[in-house]
Amino acid sequence: MTTDPVTTDPVTTDPVTTDPVTTDVFDGARTRDWTRRFADSVYATEAELTALDQQAGDGDFGTNLAAGVRAAGLLLDRREAPAGPAETLGIMADAFLDEIGGTSGPLFGLLFQALSRAAGSGPGLTTAALAEGSARGLAAIRRVGDASPGDKTLVDALAPAAAALRAAQGTPTAAALAAAADGAWRGVRDTASLTARRGRASYLGERATGIPDPGAVGVALFFDSAAGTVHSLAPRLSTG
Amino acid sequence: MTGYFENGVGELVPDALSGFARAHADLVEYDAADGYVTARHTAPTRRVGLLSGGGSGHEPLHAGYVGAGMLDAACPGRIFTSPHNRQVFRASRAVAGPEGVLHIVKNYTGDRINFGIAAERLADEGIACARVLVDDDLASDSEEIAAGRRGTGATVLVEKVLGGAADAGTGLDKLVEFGTAVAGRCRTLAVASAAHHAPTTGEPAFALPSGELEYGVGIHGERAGRTRGQGRVGALVEEMTDALLDDLRPGSGEPVVALVNGLGSVTSLELYGVFGELCRVLDARRVRLARHLVGDYVTALDMRGFSLTLMVADQVVLDFYDAPVRTPALRW
Repeated sequence: MTTDPVTTDPVTTDPVTTDPVTTDVFDGARTRDWTRRFADSVYATEAELTALDQQAGDGDFGTNLAAGVRAAGLLLDRREAPAGPAETLGIMADAFLDEIGGTSGPLFGLLFQALSRAAGSGPGLTTAALAEGSARGLAAIRRVGDASPGDKTLVDALAPAAAALRAAQGTPTAAALAAAADGAWRGVRDTASLTARRGRASYLGERATGIPDPGAVGVALFFDSAAGTVHSLAPRLSTG
Repeated sequence: MTGYFENGVGELVPDALSGFARAHADLVEYDAADGYVTARHTAPTRRVGLLSGGGSGHEPLHAGYVGAGMLDAACPGRIFTSPHNRQVFRASRAVAGPEGVLHIVKNYTGDRINFGIAAERLADEGIACARVLVDDDLASDSEEIAAGRRGTGATVLVEKVLGGAADAGTGLDKLVEFGTAVAGRCRTLAVASAAHHAPTTGEPAFALPSGELEYGVGIHGERAGRTRGQGRVGALVEEMTDALLDDLRPGSGEPVVALVNGLGSVTSLELYGVFGELCRVLDARRVRLARHLVGDYVTALDMRGFSLTLMVADQVVLDFYDAPVRTPALRW
């Protein structure tokens, strides 16, 4: 039997080079790079995160977040074959959910789990998958922590990030993630003026007012690291 | 300063669980790697796995209630510390029935969050999971306490009744509805004449002058809203019982189940004395005491105190309560 070119699916013979949205999909390698930069951002800012958490929590958040990215990095490096985006994020989820004590680390694991699911159900980590995964992760974290926006928790960064991704439908993934990072950092800066009602800082009440929530900072670091490593929190926290 | 008999800080809980599993090898199994206890025998009629857990230091809660007719698994945390979500997740996967798994959770922020994270992970894997929250502690019933009433002694009664219901083949949604209603009809009050000693330091969690007692104490050394003179136990039990009845308001002829519970280092002599006083008060108030338990069921390390729990029941609840149970700490 001879191959008839007419019956060949034009989509497969003509790869999606002309579609800016689809070519911008984060494949396995780009997702792995993102998680590497997230780890680097966490290591670079660990001391600043710890200082924040000593003022607005119990002081172990920087250590826990670093333990999470370290555990995930070890699991990812152990793989022989390169992982796809869903698998990479799934490994991040397992590391944060299984290996990290306290509650904030495992809550990050729920975000990664939701992103992994969303990436796996479609063509990869598209803007649409990121929007869906972030929204689902946000919903899970809100259910678990009984936290609403304004309670001075990581929800205050994740909610605007998820909203930015939803609003960015149809734009390239990198641009959508940049918008998510902007939204998350705005949310972080807003937490400084809030009095905690849930989570780590709620036991401190007014005393933590003026201090941004470290968990929210962690969320912003994650989205920001899609574009590059964050070497210092100070410029991000002071931008108006 | 009180010296605990242990191999070192952090060793007490895993060492005790290993010994517990050997002592009750016919009833339970201990997975030391993942940190949970499971039942060896479970009724074939059960469609939903029952799981509970929480900080250690409340023995025999929760592992003591793992077995036929009660819990399928328990996840003990470190002393007075919530179990990790990984323990709850893996134990839930191990005991989930065809209709999933039910978590019986005492109302503490850490327990709610860690069981909640496990529930999200189970949902992600397509395992149905739901929760019954136990919040019976009357002393923490205040609009100022956003976290709500704490979960204490009633946990044993809720676990027993739900065990009976699960063995009857009740599905997950019905168990949640039924268990929530049962838990909602339980109230507890606890008093202590001396705090527990912290295993790390051997020091008492709080100091109390001789002859004084904490009225409304928690099971982790949380101090009560008020300190008062100890006085005669009859007057104390009457005040506690009236407070519980005033909140529960059992209807005429409604059966009540009572738990007189030692918090760790109150003598059996004293507990039966308390039970006698409780009966006297209930008789005087014409409340029908249908079932009772007297002993150490939910402790707070070596706290010198006791709690009173009343559960307003009906015939269905009593039937499930009476159903056979065979666990290390409860059997009939």
